Amino acid sequence: MDEFDFARSVTVGQYVPGTSVLHRLDPRAKLAAFVIVLAAIITSDSYIGNVVGLSAALGLVALAGIPVGYVLSGVRPIVPILVVFTVFNFLFLGNYDPTGSAVLWRQQVALGPYEFNFTVTESSMKQTVQGVVRIIALIVLTSTLTLTTTITGLAKGIETLLAPFRRVKVPGHEAAMVIAIAYRFVPTVADELERLMKAQASRGADFGRPGRLRFVKRARQMIPITVPLFVGAFRRAERLIMAMESRCYIGGKGRTPITLPALGRRDWTAIASAAVFTLAVWNVPWPL
Amino acid sequence: MSENVVEIQDLWHWYLRGTPLQTVALQGAELEIQSDDLAAIMGHTGSGKSSLIQHLNGILRPHRGTVRVFGNDLADPKLDVRPLRRMVGLVFQQPEMQLFDPTVGDDVAFGPRQLGGTPEEVRRRVRTAMERVGLSFEGFKDRYTFGLSGGEMRRVALAGVLALEPRLLVLDEPTAGLDPRGRRQLLESLRTIHAEGEMAVVIVSHDMDVVAELARRVWVLAGGRTVMRGSVREIFARVEELRELGLGIPQVSELAYELRRAGRDVRADVLTADELAEALWTNSTSPAA
Ligand SMILES: Nc1ncnc2c1ncn2[C@@H]1O[C@H](COP(=O)(O)OP(=O)(O)OP(=O)(O)O)[C@@H](O)[C@H]1O
Ligand SMILES: [Mg+2]
Repeated sequence: MDEFDFARSVTVGQYVPGTSVLHRLDPRAKLAAFVIVLAAIITSDSYIGNVVGLSAALGLVALAGIPVGYVLSGVRPIVPILVVFTVFNFLFLGNYDPTGSAVLWRQQVALGPYEFNFTVTESSMKQTVQGVVRIIALIVLTSTLTLTTTITGLAKGIETLLAPFRRVKVPGHEAAMVIAIAYRFVPTVADELERLMKAQASRGADFGRPGRLRFVKRARQMIPITVPLFVGAFRRAERLIMAMESRCYIGGKGRTPITLPALGRRDWTAIASAAVFTLAVWNVPWPL
Repeated sequence: MSENVVEIQDLWHWYLRGTPLQTVALQGAELEIQSDDLAAIMGHTGSGKSSLIQHLNGILRPHRGTVRVFGNDLADPKLDVRPLRRMVGLVFQQPEMQLFDPTVGDDVAFGPRQLGGTPEEVRRRVRTAMERVGLSFEGFKDRYTFGLSGGEMRRVALAGVLALEPRLLVLDEPTAGLDPRGRRQLLESLRTIHAEGEMAVVIVSHDMDVVAELARRVWVLAGGRTVMRGSVREIFARVEELRELGLGIPQVSELAYELRRAGRDVRADVLTADELAEALWTNSTSPAA
């Protein structure tokens, strides 16, 4: 119904204020705990382990007091890609299965001059299903992190996690700043895009009726949108640089925080629970 | 004869509806525009002015309440709003940010080309639109868009909408950020457009002097609701109410108000310097008499 209200589905880079445990965790501890849980999700090699990972991610959403539907709406834009990816993996991955696991289904299809081999093996099936579950869990988990953390908190967390690598000349502070700014600007650019589409529609641009063939129409209307979008983005970047420089920002060298509260009990509990969860996912002999 | 081309009753609109970040922008707004109207919408920052006018050409759809524009019911989800967008020209805030074509002529021609007219027709529309905003067609059509001054770019953007030849022209903060001369020229253009173009003109403005100079009827929004409506004179005579809403009044009205408070017997509804002079002159209690 709302033709241009697509900022609604941009959850990347948004912050939802709240008072949940997740909101109150120290960002450094939160980031560490999330990285640990993430490790479990992307490495678990069993169906049940992956489902447990996804459930944990959804559990964290609930803990944060954010509607699950809102977080999942951030997954919606990639659904088409996900579907294509899954279908292709499902049909073709078995052809290249190096593990030699049992073949569940094999079919040869001739389409005109082309011949296709569809093969599904036990291991290719697992990889396909796990791929989807992992990607969704990943998005849900990272969204939960960023939806409950302010941008400065996030930057501080990343910087702390990267601090050990300073010895090998990784510019932790700068990397954190760049990531944080990029993240922060996603909703801003989405807003800008929305405003431009509205303005150009008012000038006669036809983005088509929602639904069929909308993509075609949209592609033709790219230039009136992208040119001002980029002009605006560069202008905004310049202003940001100016604002940072006029506050004497010179990068991370010699910069110290005014307050650096020690991690509290809650923070250590979070890290410990994450570690326990991950070790459990790794070490429980899941039957599937 | 003037009939209502816009009728908005009890209009509600939420942004980011259904998310934790949902905010209500309009909660019971009302608006009526006549076919030959010259109206202004005023209100404090965040009062919902921009949201209200985006309903006029179907950029936003009502979440509750009725919006009728040229007989179209915008609450009907099946309504095709594209014809409506040609009848209602909406100029957004800072429209110069929306230019995209390297040459002025092509940028103005974007709308007419979308309508699919012949090249001659497109040319005619572009020429008329550019001259209406005070840009000579021959002098500007091949100029480089991004090399223009801010005021010129704004006029190009306005021409881009005028080239659609709408019957209702709506402008969001048209004079914001212009210098006094740019502002005067723009107001002059708007007056001509209204007089010659036979279209209703609605402006959204923070600038009370602009409103006093241009508008005949005024609608005041606060917190997403319509709180005042009336002729420009009636509205600006209600000084205390406007102050309470965080709005000012035109400088001349302000002066008249202060004089009245100081005990001078000055009419309440003066808008221009000439009117104030006259009001003081014909005033029996003035010391000059
Ligand atoms: N795209 C958007 N997403 C979320 N909230 C919005 C959006 N646009 C406006 N709002 C909110 O809706 C309310 C009304 O906004 P609107 O832009 O209509 O006000 P306005 O009267 O035009 O203000 P201004 O004078 O500052 O332009 C404000 O509280 C604003 O924060
Ligand atoms: Mg506005």
